[in-house]
Amino acid sequence: MKSLCNYQITERLPIREWVPNNVQIRQYAEASGDFNPIHLDDNYARQVGLGGMIAHGMLTMAQMAAMLSEWIRKEGRIIKLDVRFVQVVRQGDKITFGGSIRARSENIIVCDIEATNDKEEIVLGGVAHIMQK
Amino acid sequence: MIGKEFIGRESESVVLKIRLEEVRRFAEAIGIPFDGEVPVTYVGTLLQGNIPGFELTTPGMIHGEQKISYERSLSVGDSLTYKRCIKDVYERTSKLGKIRFVVLETSGYDLAGELVFSSSSTLITPVKGATN
Repeated sequence: MKSLCNYQITERLPIREWVPNNVQIRQYAEASGDFNPIHLDDNYARQVGLGGMIAHGMLTMAQMAAMLSEWIRKEGRIIKLDVRFVQVVRQGDKITFGGSIRARSENIIVCDIEATNDKEEIVLGGVAHIMQK
Repeated sequence: MIGKEFIGRESESVVLKIRLEEVRRFAEAIGIPFDGEVPVTYVGTLLQGNIPGFELTTPGMIHGEQKISYERSLSVGDSLTYKRCIKDVYERTSKLGKIRFVVLETSGYDLAGELVFSSSSTLITPVKGATN
């Protein structure tokens, strides 16, 4: 396993793949307390113009954080995570999380991060700051 | 309908202890092995703290952006107080018509009053009756 301190600017981060399903979306609603019906009620989500149920943005963001945590292991911690939810994510979408190193200083690594679906559309983009331990 | 007059409205302070079982349940729901650490996005579950007149699940409201920053790491067993505040409300016109953005900030402090984290959510909602 390559150590965090050996990653250079522009280098790609390891990817993580994720396919949400309705069981996980419901579990997330229960664990997070976010019972907005756009995530749980297909008819309601259609009525409000979303074309059907969508996953919680925060569940997608949690997968991005999981990708980063798997990458940094115990060598660092995420001190800042800023994301934009660009496209909706639905049950069955195959989402790939990745990123690259934008900048680094003595103990901070700044990463550009992105998640895409199987149509190669960006669903989430943003920036993460990692503090090395 | 939420408008600019909501800017600056804040909730009461909520006292919270980070509990092992709740963090474990959260980790299981997002599908990661629970190793005792609090996942970065766990603070997104801190939805208590009523802001007078503000309803989170307005029909059609979706999540546009989320920013989370930590001054220090959060651990199971930590006691915190947090508060939610409406930082901004503004409108933009898109291809689909007029949409309204609501920026909701949550700040968490330790018992000494030191900032531990801040979290900012930008929520997007269509403006009823608006034409393009």
